[in-house]
Amino acid sequence: MKELTEVLRDWEAVIGLEIHTELTTLDTKMFCGCKLSHDDEPNTNVCPVCLGLPGALPVPNKRAIEYIVKAGIATNCEIQKHSMFYRKHYFYPDMAKNFQTTQGPVAFAMHGHLDLEVTGRGAAERPECAFGEAEAASLASASAGAVGLSADLSRMAGEGAWDETNPSPSVPAAASEGALAALSGYDTAAFALPERHEDGSYTVPIRILRIHMEEDAAKMVHVGGEEGRIGGAAESLIDYNRCGTPLIELVTEPDLRTPEEARLFMEKLRRIFMTLGISDCSMEKGSMRCDGNVSLRRRGDTRLGTKTELKNLNSFKALHDGLAYEICRQAEVLEEGGIIYQETRHWEPSRKRTVVMRVKETADDYRFFPDPDLAPFDLTDEFIEHCRAEIPELPDAKRDRYEHDFGIKRADAEQIAGDPAVAELFEEAASGLAGKEAQTVANLVVNELPAHLKATGAAVEDCGIAPEQLRSLAKLLASDAISSNQGHEVFVAMAETGEDPEQIVDARGMRQVNDTDALQATVDEVLARCSDQAQQYRDGNQKVIGFLVGQCMKASRGTGNPKLFNELLRKALS
Amino acid sequence: MAAFDSLSARELAAAISAGDLSAREVAEASLEAISARESEVQAFLQVTPELALEAADRVDAARAAGDVLPPLAGVPVAVKDNMNLQGTRTTCASRMLESYESPYTATCVQRMLDAGCVPVGKTNMDEFAFGSSTDTSAFHPTNNPWDVMRVPGGSSGGSAAAVAAGEVPISLGSDTGGSIRQPAALCGVVGMKPTYGAVSRYGVVAFGSSLDQVGPFGRTVEDVALAMDALVSGGHDRCDSTSQEVEPVFARALSGSVKGCRVGIIPSFMEADGLTSEVRRGVESAARALEEAGAELVDVDLPHLDAAISAYYVIGPAEAFSNLARFDGIRYGYQEPDCRNLAEQSARSRAHGFGAEAKRRQMLGAYLLSSGIYDKYYYAAQKARTLITADYAAAYERVDVIIMPASPMVAFEHGAISDPTQMYLSDMYTISINIAGNGGITVPVGLGESSGLPVAAQLVAPAFKDERLITFGAAVERAFSGADFSAPVLGVAPACAGKGGELA
Repeated sequence: MKELTEVLRDWEAVIGLEIHTELTTLDTKMFCGCKLSHDDEPNTNVCPVCLGLPGALPVPNKRAIEYIVKAGIATNCEIQKHSMFYRKHYFYPDMAKNFQTTQGPVAFAMHGHLDLEVTGRGAAERPECAFGEAEAASLASASAGAVGLSADLSRMAGEGAWDETNPSPSVPAAASEGALAALSGYDTAAFALPERHEDGSYTVPIRILRIHMEEDAAKMVHVGGEEGRIGGAAESLIDYNRCGTPLIELVTEPDLRTPEEARLFMEKLRRIFMTLGISDCSMEKGSMRCDGNVSLRRRGDTRLGTKTELKNLNSFKALHDGLAYEICRQAEVLEEGGIIYQETRHWEPSRKRTVVMRVKETADDYRFFPDPDLAPFDLTDEFIEHCRAEIPELPDAKRDRYEHDFGIKRADAEQIAGDPAVAELFEEAASGLAGKEAQTVANLVVNELPAHLKATGAAVEDCGIAPEQLRSLAKLLASDAISSNQGHEVFVAMAETGEDPEQIVDARGMRQVNDTDALQATVDEVLARCSDQAQQYRDGNQKVIGFLVGQCMKASRGTGNPKLFNELLRKALS
Repeated sequence: MAAFDSLSARELAAAISAGDLSAREVAEASLEAISARESEVQAFLQVTPELALEAADRVDAARAAGDVLPPLAGVPVAVKDNMNLQGTRTTCASRMLESYESPYTATCVQRMLDAGCVPVGKTNMDEFAFGSSTDTSAFHPTNNPWDVMRVPGGSSGGSAAAVAAGEVPISLGSDTGGSIRQPAALCGVVGMKPTYGAVSRYGVVAFGSSLDQVGPFGRTVEDVALAMDALVSGGHDRCDSTSQEVEPVFARALSGSVKGCRVGIIPSFMEADGLTSEVRRGVESAARALEEAGAELVDVDLPHLDAAISAYYVIGPAEAFSNLARFDGIRYGYQEPDCRNLAEQSARSRAHGFGAEAKRRQMLGAYLLSSGIYDKYYYAAQKARTLITADYAAAYERVDVIIMPASPMVAFEHGAISDPTQMYLSDMYTISINIAGNGGITVPVGLGESSGLPVAAQLVAPAFKDERLITFGAAVERAFSGADFSAPVLGVAPACAGKGGELA
C-alpha cells in the first residue's frame, strides 16, 4: 500500500466522528438511582428500571442534563430548549428493554464547532492543494445531510413539525460554488477557511452536528471468542451495571480531512470534557469511545464516495492509525478498480489492519418514536444560564492566558491547560513567576511530571509533589545553580522524600559551580590531558567540543556548569 | 351481623375502626366469599390468603395498640394482575409471565396498602390488557356474575367481576381504552379512570404508556371516591415522571351539588350505529335525572371524534410493540428450551409466550412504526389526538361534564364477537377519553329492559377535574337508588349475593 501522504495528494479523505462519552462523574444512572461504577461486582448496581423489568418507568437525571448543556455550550453549540427522548428499538440482550432511550431529531445541543490548530509534523498530512477555495467547496459538499448521516435521523427530521422545534434542514447535496454560507444551521461568521502558516501549521473549523443524550447499554463479555468478540465464543455474559449509564454522543460533520485532524479533535474534545468535569474521559476504560466514518473521493470531486465505519479506535494512536490504514486501504481498492462496500470494520492494532465486522446491506429499522414515558423538555433560560455560569475557564482560554501571563511556549501551555489537575499544579507553582523561571516550571510539568506519574502510577492529585517544591526546583534550574541532569535527579529525590529541593541539592553537594576561575583550572587540566582532541577542534571538527565538555564535567564530578565549560573551552581553543 | 357482601368499603372500615368487626374476620369473610363464588365467576388468577391475613392482623394489632387507623383499614382489595405486588406473581394473564414473581410493589398498590387495604388476590384480565372481554386471558375466561354465559368486559374483567360478585368491595383496574369503564358497565359496578397522570403508573406493566391509567372499581360512588383519595394521597410519585400532584378531595366531592351546572350531550354519540336502545334509554334517563337535580343539558359537538378509534389503534399498538419488546425470555419470563442461538430463542419464546391478540397488536405496532409507514400513520394519529383533545377542551368551555354511554351494549356472550375489529368497537365510547387524557366514570343506572342486564352511563370531565366525576356520579346514583332499584344502584349480582362470607 502507498504511504498516507502520497494517497492524500490524489485522494481527499472525508472523515466524520461519532464520540460517545459516559458521564462518569455523576453519582447515578440516567433514568434511575443506581450508582455509577466501573469496578463493582457485575450486576450489583441494578434495579427494576435499568433491568427493564415489567412496570418500571424512567425518571431523567437532572444533573446529566446540566452536563450535556455544559458540553454543548463549551463546544459552541446552540442549546435547544425544547427536545424529547425517543425510543430506538433493537433486539439484543445488552439493552434490557430491547430499546434504547435516546434523543430524536432535536438534541439538547446542536450546530456547534471547534477550531483545530494543527501544528508540527502531523500538519503535513493535509496536502497543499487542500487549502483556500478548494476547501470551501469540499466543506460545502460534505455535510451530514449529503453524507446521509443516518436514515433514521433524516426520517425524524421530516416529522419535526409536530411536536418539536423544526430541526434545520440538511444541506442540499449540490451546495453551490463552495460558499460557506451554504452551511445552513451554523453560525458561518465564526468560520474561516484553513490557511497554511509559514511553519506549516494551520487552523481549521470542525463543525459539530449535535450532542445528544442517551443511555449506555450493558457490557457483554463473550467467553472464548477472539479479543472478547462473539465469533467463536462459547458463552456470553452480561453485566447490567453499565446499563443506563448517562452517555452523550457527539456527531461531527464530515469536516475532518486527515487522521491527524481526527486525533487532534478527539484530544481537544477530551481536554474540554475533562475541564468541565463531566467524565473521567478514559479511552482505556471505555468511558470515551470513538467511531470513525471515512470515505475517499478524487481531489476536486464534489460527490462523496462510499464510507466505511471504523470501530475499536480506543486510543488516540488507534484513532490515527486506524483511519490512516483505512484511507490507504480504500485508495488501493479504488485504484485497482474495486468497490468500497458500506460496512463496519474493526481496527486490529496488533496486526495494524481493519477487518470487516458486518456489512450493512439495508438500513436498520430502529422504529424510532417519542418515548411516551418521558415528557418533552422545556429548558428555561435560568437553567441554561446556571449551567453557563458553572463552566470553568476552558483549555483554549487557559492556554492563551498561560502564554500571555507566564510567557511560556504555546505548545507547553496547551498541554498543561488540557488537564485541570496539571493546570492547577502549574498555576500554583508558577504563581508570580514569568519568563525563564515560569518556562522552567512548565518544562518540569511537561517533561518530568508525566514520567514520574507513569513510573509511580499515581494521579496528579496525589502524586506527592507540592507546588512549592516545583517552584523551588525551577528557581534552582533557572539560576543555573544546578544542571538539567541534576534537575532530573532532584525531581526524583523530592518526589520520593518530599524534601525541599534546596535541601536535597545542599545535602548532595550538587550545587553547580559557576565561578569561572575555578572552572578555568579544570578546563586547563582537561586540555592538557586531551591534546589530540584539542587539535581536532582547531582543525575544524566542532563536534569534538562535546567530548571535551564531558571530560570537564567528569573532572568536576558533575558540579561544573556545562554551558560555562563550553564557553571557556571554545575561548581557550580559538 | 350481616353478609360481607352487603357492606360497602366505607361501612367495613367504619365497623373495623369502631371495633364492631376485626380486620381478620373481614378478610376471612372475603376469602370465604371468594372460595364460594370462584367456581362460577373465575375472577381471580391468584388468591393470597397469607398476604391478606397478615395485613389484616397488622390492622387489628394497630387498633389494639391504640393507633389511629388509616381510612380503608381492613378493607379487602383485589388487584389486576398487571400490577406488581411483592409476594405475588404478576402474570398479565400471559404464558409469557406465568411464573414471574413481582420483585417490587407498584405505587398504586402500595398506596392502597398504605391506606390499610388488605390484598386478597390478583384478578384476571385480557392478556397484557389487550381486549374487551377478558376472554384473551391465557389461563381461563372470567364470567359475568349477572350471567355466567356472558363476559364481564375487559380488559379489567376480573376486577369488575370480583366487585360485582361481592368477593371484594373494591378493586384496582387499568384503563388504556376503556378497560375500567367498559367492564364496570357490563358488570353493573362503578369504575373510574382518572385523568392521565393522576395515579402513578410505576409498577403497572405498560400497554400504551401515553394512554394507561389506573383506577378503582366499587359498588358505590362513595367507595370509588375513598379509593381515589387513597391512590392520590402521597402526591406526585418520584418513580413516574408523568405523574402529577392531585389533592385527595374525592370523598369531599360526594356532597357537591350539580345545581346550575351544565351537562353536555354529544348527539352523534346517542345516535351511533351499534348503540342498543336499552343503553341509549338508560343514558337518557341518567341525563334527565341530572336535569331534575338542577343541571342544564347542553348539546355539544366534537367534530373529530370519528378519528378516535383509528388514532387509538395506531398509538396503542405502536406503544404496545415497544413496551412488550422486553419480553424475550432472556432475563425472565417464558424461555423456549433447546434453541440453537439467541435469535431463535427470542423468536420462539415470543411465539409460544404470547397469545393471538398480543401478537396481533405487536405485529400491528411493529408495522406502524416501520420506516415509510410511520410517517403516514403515527404522525396522522398524533394530529388526530391533538384535534380530539382540542375538541374536548372547547366543549368544556361550555359544559362542566359530558354524559355518554360507557359501552354500546350490555354484556355479550362468550365467543359472540370473534372479529377483532368488531370487538374494538365495544370501546367506541371510552377510547376518545384516553386519547384526550381526561377522566371518566361509569355509573350503573339499572337493568336493561330487554336484556335484564346492567346498563350504565359514563360521565367525563376536563383534565384534573376528576372530582366532578364523583359529584356528578353521586348525583346519578342518588337519583336511581331507592327508585326502581335497591340502594346502592345495583349491588351484588343476585346469583352471588350472600353466598359465603357471613360476618358474625
